[in-house]
Amino acid sequence: MDWDQLELNPRIIASVRRVKLKSVREALCVSGPDLQRLTGLSRSDVQQLQTAAATACRRHPPTPAVLLQRGECGLRLSVGCPVLDELLRGGLPAGGITELCGESGVGKTQLALQLCLSVQYPAQHGGLDSAAVRLLPVCNSVCPVGAVYICTEDSFPIRRLQQLILGQSSLRPDIPRDLISRRGFSDHIYVEHAADLDALQVCLSRRVPLLLARRHVRLLVVDSVAALFRSEFQASDWLERSKQLISFSHTLHTLSLEFNTPVLCINQVTDVFSSDDSLGPVSGIVSPALGLAWANQVMVRLMMRRLQGTVARGDQSSARRRLEVAFAPHLARDGRDAAVWREGVLGVDSSDRCYNTQADVITATQMCYNTDRCVITQTDVL
Amino acid sequence: MQRSVSSSSLSPSVKMKLVNAGFQFTADLLHLKPLQLSKEASLTQQEALEVLQAVRREGGGGDEAGGGGGGESSSLTALELLQKEEEMKSIVTFSSQLDAALGGGFPVGKTTEICGAPGVGKTQLCLQLAVDVQVPQCFGGVGGQVVYIDTEGSFLLQRVVDIAAAAVRHCSLLVEDDEQRVAMETFTVETILSNMFLVRCHDYVELLAEVHLLPDFLSEHPRVRLLVIDSVAFPFRQHFDDLSQRTRLLNGLAQQLISMATGHGIAVAMTNQMTTRLSGGQSQLVPALGESWGHAPTIRLLLHWAGSRRMAAVFKSPDHKGATVQYQITSEGFRDVGQSEQPPSKRPRTQTVASVASQRDTSC
Repeated sequence: MDWDQLELNPRIIASVRRVKLKSVREALCVSGPDLQRLTGLSRSDVQQLQTAAATACRRHPPTPAVLLQRGECGLRLSVGCPVLDELLRGGLPAGGITELCGESGVGKTQLALQLCLSVQYPAQHGGLDSAAVRLLPVCNSVCPVGAVYICTEDSFPIRRLQQLILGQSSLRPDIPRDLISRRGFSDHIYVEHAADLDALQVCLSRRVPLLLARRHVRLLVVDSVAALFRSEFQASDWLERSKQLISFSHTLHTLSLEFNTPVLCINQVTDVFSSDDSLGPVSGIVSPALGLAWANQVMVRLMMRRLQGTVARGDQSSARRRLEVAFAPHLARDGRDAAVWREGVLGVDSSDRCYNTQADVITATQMCYNTDRCVITQTDVL
Repeated sequence: MQRSVSSSSLSPSVKMKLVNAGFQFTADLLHLKPLQLSKEASLTQQEALEVLQAVRREGGGGDEAGGGGGGESSSLTALELLQKEEEMKSIVTFSSQLDAALGGGFPVGKTTEICGAPGVGKTQLCLQLAVDVQVPQCFGGVGGQVVYIDTEGSFLLQRVVDIAAAAVRHCSLLVEDDEQRVAMETFTVETILSNMFLVRCHDYVELLAEVHLLPDFLSEHPRVRLLVIDSVAFPFRQHFDDLSQRTRLLNGLAQQLISMATGHGIAVAMTNQMTTRLSGGQSQLVPALGESWGHAPTIRLLLHWAGSRRMAAVFKSPDHKGATVQYQITSEGFRDVGQSEQPPSKRPRTQTVASVASQRDTSC
C-alpha cells in the first residue's frame, strides 16, 4: 500500500520513507517505542502513524451481527438428499473448511461427486448458482457455476460421474425436468490431478483463484488431503509436514472466506491403538489422519463409516453406512444412516427396507419376483 | 516533583540534544525563548518551538494535577481498589458450576483464555458469553454489549440465533415483577444480535489493526462489557519466519488487551488451540502460542474430554484454586450436566458497595 494514500503529516511520511519501511502492514508489526527509535518521531507522531496504518489495514469496522441476516452469510450447499441436509441444517457452510473422513470404500468420493453436481443448481434448489451474480460484467458469458475437483490419489472417476448425471432426475425429484436436462453438468467440473505438493501449490495459487474470481466455480473439492501429506514425509520430518500442512490449509481457508465458497477436503483414517487419546470422545477404533495440526484448521468434521447390514430400495441394495458430525460450530453431534445407490448417496428413510445380513436381501428380492406385489415390509424383517 | 526531560514525549534525538546541553528537568525549559533554546541545545528553530509547545502543554497539565509526574496515573489505596473490584460484576454464564469455579462468572476487567482441542466447545462458550453479557441487570446480568472478533469464520448465525432464543426463553421463565417484565421487552433475539459487534479478521495484521483501533471504538460505545477473540491462535500459527517476532507481537497484543480490560472495564475472553509438545520420549498436549503467551491472560480455562464427558478445568487463576467441572453442549448452548427443563435457581440481584462493605466489616 502506498504511504501517500494515508492521511498523515508529510513530515511523518518523509521519515517513514527515509527508514524504508516496506509497507503499511509493517508499521503495525513493530512496537511503538521501536518505531520511535527507528524513525526519530515523537510518541504522538508514532501513534498517529499506527492509527492511520491500522485504519488502512482493517477491512471494515465492527458491525452489528443483525446485519448479517440480510447478507450472504447463511448460504448452504445442499447435499442433494433431504435426510442428510437435515443433519447438516441445510448443507455445507459457504466459508471455512469441511472435512469428510472415513475408511476406503465407504463412499466419500461418491458424496463429493454428488456435491459437484448439486452446486450447479440455482440457490432455491440448494445449489450456489445465482442468476444475479452471473450477469455481472466480470463474467463475459452467462455460464452456470461449477466445481473444482483436485485428485491426488486415483484418476478422476469419470464413469461414475456420468452415471450420477444420468440419475439426477431420480435423485432430485424436486427439481423441474427441464432444469436438469438443459445443463451440461460435466462441462462445469474442472478436474486437476496433483501428484505432489508442488503441483498442488501451483494449482491453488494460480488456477483456482482465477476460476473463483470469475465466478466459474463455487465449490472446491480436494480428494484426498491425506494422500499427499502422508506419502511425501518421513516420520522424522513431522515439523516440515506440519508447516506445509498449515500453509496449505491457510491457502484453502483464505480462498474459502474471500470468495464465500465451500471447501470440502476428503481425509483418510488411521487406527487408534492407545485409548488415552484426549483429542475427542472415545468413539471408534479409527480416528482421522493428519493429527492435531490439521484438526485445528478444520471447521466442520464429518465422518462416514460402514455399518452391519444392508439397505434395499426398489431393485437395488447397498451396504449400510452412517454419516456423522464429529464437530461443527452449528451442528449437534448426531448422525444419519445412509446408503450408496446408482443415483447417489441418500439417507435412509422409512420407506427403505433394512436387513441385517446379506441372506435376507436375497430372499426378499426372490419373493419380489415371485409375487405380484412386494409383501415384505420393514416391520417383518426387523 | 519535577519532570525530567528524558521522560517527556519528545523524539529521542531531540531529547539527547537537550540532555547534552544540560537541561535535566522540563521546568528549566519553561522560561526560555525559542531562539535561546535553539542556540543552547543546537536545535533548529522549528524543533525548539515544538519542544517548548510540548513542554508547556505537559507542564500545564502536570501543575493542575498537583505536580504529579506523568498526568494520567493517580495512586489508589488498596481499599479503593477492593471497592472498585467489588463493583465490577462478573458475566454469569448459564452454567452455575462453571460460575462457581470462576468465583461468580467471567470477571470484568480481566483477561481470560479458553483453550482446548478442536470440537470440545470453545466457540460454543464464546457464543454463550456473547449472549449472556446482554442479560439485563434486573436478572443478575451485566446488560452490556459485546465486540466479537472472529478469525476462523466459525461465527455462524444459525447457532447464535439458537443460543439467543434459548436465553430469552430462560429469562422469560424467571420474570417475577414489573421491572423484569419491562426489561424482557428489550431482551429479544433481534436486540441481542444488534448488540453484538462482529469483526472478521483474515490474518494477524488485520487482528493487530483491529485491536489497535478498539480503544477508540470502546470510547464511542461505552456500553460494551465484553471482547471475545475467537481465536487468537489461528492467525498467529501461520508460518512465521521469525518466531521471536511472533513472541514480540503477542506480547504487545497481550499488553493492549490488558490495558483495554482495566481501562475500559471490559472482560476479555480469548480462545487458544492445543499443540503437542515432545518432552523426552513422550508427547503432551499443551496450549499453543508458547510459554510466554501463558503469562498474558489472568485466568486460563482448559476444556478437555474425559472419556465421553466434557470437562472444564481452571488451571490458572489468581483468586481461586483450580477446580474441574463437567459441562455439556445442548441445542440451547453451554450448560451444566444434569440441568433439566425446570427453571434453575434465580440469580441474586446486584449488591451495592455499601452493603458489601458492611458485610465485610461485621464478619472480621
